[in-house]
Amino acid sequence: MTVGAARVHAETAATSATPDRSRFGAVDEAVLKALRKIVGSDYVRSSDGDLAPFSRDATPLFAARPDAVIFPASTEEVAAVLKLATERRIPVTPRGAGSNLAAATAATYGGIVMVLTRLDQIVEVSASELLAVVQTGVTTAELSAAAGKQGLLYAPDPGSRTVSTVGGNVAMCAGGLRGLKYGVTRNYVLGLLVVLPTGEIIRTGGRLWKDVAGYDLTRLLTGSEGTLGVITEATVALLPAPATSGTGVAYFRSLSDAGRAVARVIADGVVPATLEFLDGKCINAVEDYAGLGLDRTAGALLLFGDDGAPDVVQTNLARMAVSCETEGALGFTVAKEIVESEALLEARRCALPALARLAPVTILEDVAVPRPRIAEMVDRIDAIAERNRLTIATFGHAGDGNLHPTAVVDPGDGDAVERAHAAVGQIFTAAIDLGGTITGEHGVGAAKLPYLEQRLGADQMALLRRVKTAFDPAGILNPGKTGS
Amino acid sequence: MSVLSERGGQPDQNDVLSRVADGVSPSSVHHSDDVLGLATYGTGDHGVHTRGIFDPELLDRCISCGFCLPACPTYALEKDEASSPRGRITLMRALEAGTLDPHDQTLQEQSSQCLGCRACEVPCPAGVEYGLLLETWRDHQWSGRHGNPLARVLRWGVARRSLLRLSGLVRPFARTRGYARATKPHIMLGCAERALFPSVSRAAVRLVPGADAPIEQGCCGALHAHNGDSAKGADMARRLGQDLPGTIITTAGGCAAHIAHHLGRDHLKELSEHLVETGYRATGELLVPDGHGGQRRARVTLQDSCHLRNGLRVTAQPRALLRQVADYVELPSAGGCCGSAGSYSILRPKESARILAPKLAEIKALDVDFIVTVNPGCQLQLQSALMLRRSGTKAIHLADLLARVEDQVAARS
Repeated sequence: MTVGAARVHAETAATSATPDRSRFGAVDEAVLKALRKIVGSDYVRSSDGDLAPFSRDATPLFAARPDAVIFPASTEEVAAVLKLATERRIPVTPRGAGSNLAAATAATYGGIVMVLTRLDQIVEVSASELLAVVQTGVTTAELSAAAGKQGLLYAPDPGSRTVSTVGGNVAMCAGGLRGLKYGVTRNYVLGLLVVLPTGEIIRTGGRLWKDVAGYDLTRLLTGSEGTLGVITEATVALLPAPATSGTGVAYFRSLSDAGRAVARVIADGVVPATLEFLDGKCINAVEDYAGLGLDRTAGALLLFGDDGAPDVVQTNLARMAVSCETEGALGFTVAKEIVESEALLEARRCALPALARLAPVTILEDVAVPRPRIAEMVDRIDAIAERNRLTIATFGHAGDGNLHPTAVVDPGDGDAVERAHAAVGQIFTAAIDLGGTITGEHGVGAAKLPYLEQRLGADQMALLRRVKTAFDPAGILNPGKTGS
Repeated sequence: MSVLSERGGQPDQNDVLSRVADGVSPSSVHHSDDVLGLATYGTGDHGVHTRGIFDPELLDRCISCGFCLPACPTYALEKDEASSPRGRITLMRALEAGTLDPHDQTLQEQSSQCLGCRACEVPCPAGVEYGLLLETWRDHQWSGRHGNPLARVLRWGVARRSLLRLSGLVRPFARTRGYARATKPHIMLGCAERALFPSVSRAAVRLVPGADAPIEQGCCGALHAHNGDSAKGADMARRLGQDLPGTIITTAGGCAAHIAHHLGRDHLKELSEHLVETGYRATGELLVPDGHGGQRRARVTLQDSCHLRNGLRVTAQPRALLRQVADYVELPSAGGCCGSAGSYSILRPKESARILAPKLAEIKALDVDFIVTVNPGCQLQLQSALMLRRSGTKAIHLADLLARVEDQVAARS
């Protein structure tokens, strides 16, 4: 993330430099007319006010104004728009609900923002095939609910599940709270209906669990951040819903104690459905919002849970409690009812926005490290926070080593934003040092692109760009993101 | 001074700033046909205060997570970000930062298209007080030449205490003579309610022993606050507090949150809240004809009042009362706006009907005798729509329903 520095630079650059958009065509009246012909005039917007709400997503301090916003209603309309965009060399940024945290839907070079929320039909839920077919704009929660009605589970559950679209989840390869036991979005995508930037409509994968015909484009497109194709429909795998689930809370003196407990739980032989942690700052913010009666005095808490047959769940909860005690838990409670468990998980999902109660800007990161090194990473984050004189609250999916250190910043406080961005860079370096990555589940987007090479190396970056060119010779699809 | 506010001082540069050059990407990163570092971003309007329209603390609190989107009835219509709470806050920020012309058509349209139901406040983990932001937005947006003439007439009418008194001559509402004393609970007569549904205050006086209903009371000002004149709305609430010292009992959920905000939560009880707190026990059950010459227990559902639910979080009490007297079934969309939204059904009838349509289908599927309301706006909206469709379901205010139970019991004994 370079925003802080970028802004400082912008102060001087504003007078001297203009954006380099020379390789792209303009969205002129002829283009608008063509767009209106494709999607209908009600679904093409281009006034200042119309564009403002689409100039940002959920990423703080990132804004870029598009030249037009369109709302196609079918795969064919998407294809016609992309064909036109390639001919005219106009940037197209696909967008679902705009809940991503990496500025992946910021219209870096202006052009067209293509909003896919009108493609909102659940085409099919098949209990016999254990799959669902949904259009790209269906929300994750809607898919889960439809699966749940037939006793099935759609496992990926990102924090923004009530808001985020399935298409967006696939494009960003969203993770969630069940990652350790169930995996992430990529483990559930069977097939995609995709429009290539040049306008061809292709189907990758399908309804098959086994299918090795050709390169695995489904996997390549999953997490491609809208740079290789526009996903208009997804076929996803479902599981039989577990009979029951249970959740417990263990309190620790510090987050690194909790980090050690995480490694212990897994080493003791349980693969839990949930293993989340929050530090003291997050506990208090969540408690302010949800009022669940969490212990505000603890330095950290570990939310542990499992699902499955009732006796297995009970046994595993007990075993995890013992593991936590071994690592010095101050105390623990186990939710008595499913509703209590769900309230705990919901509260955990709200950790980030709840932190907004502390200060106006929350700069959230998403590093992941190998599980045994969590405690070490936590200590390094603490040191980085201190060095940069920042409040950094950390929560995350401890089970899969995915941490969300969040700098809580008041922009009015001198150079706090700049210090936060310096800290972000140091956190990335620390994570890579420990064998980790710069992003576990939020994606690279525009926000982390400057750091991608640090993670991948020059050869792999070059390969990414060649892949990008193969899909998108005109370079119109979400330029300024991965591989472009 | 923060960099954010420095930027705000140069609104004319916003367009340029949104895509100015950025030379600070790590120099090790190379790009095939463009130096990506040259494409950059503005920081948006979060935290930029130039025009001084909004309270910075209120406007800065939203972090644009979007958790409010699924709660918003107008977002549900077209799934359009501009018609969502987050999108509207982005628009408010653009207005505040000076990025958008204050007369911009979208600002005008979205400030009006919002129902003001405050459903977005419930799932908001950051605690954004959207209702207050909307009041400020409309104060600004609806002033001068953009004022809605119809809204102006409404505001004018309800502020005339003589008109309110006159309405009682045609159809009598409850009234007690003399000035209100702080020791008694006071039934609030409302403005629209006393004119449109005078039986509600008469019923409320019966249900709350010892309550008075002083004739010397005006409108609470909620209609002003929600329609572009929050200063006058606050004055009217304070004046109501002087007219009715002590506890005010209201039968209008839409007024409840406004009064509680200005006079303090302690001074305000919504009727169902008061009845449950004081241990109200119905004397019987509500009976309806069974179609075979006999009678059966009524089947009822509830439409929440948005501001009562989302502003004051009062939801259990009216349901508990209904369960005492009838078979209660939950309306799936009970917590969602019916499209009345105060003056919205008058100012924007087409959208109001679109918001209402799915609810009417739900009511039909439930096949209930009554849909119970706790706010005159919802009562009017549902009553007229159900009558127009010759529905077997009747809309009735909670106070009227409970009074009817007492009447039935009295008639039987």
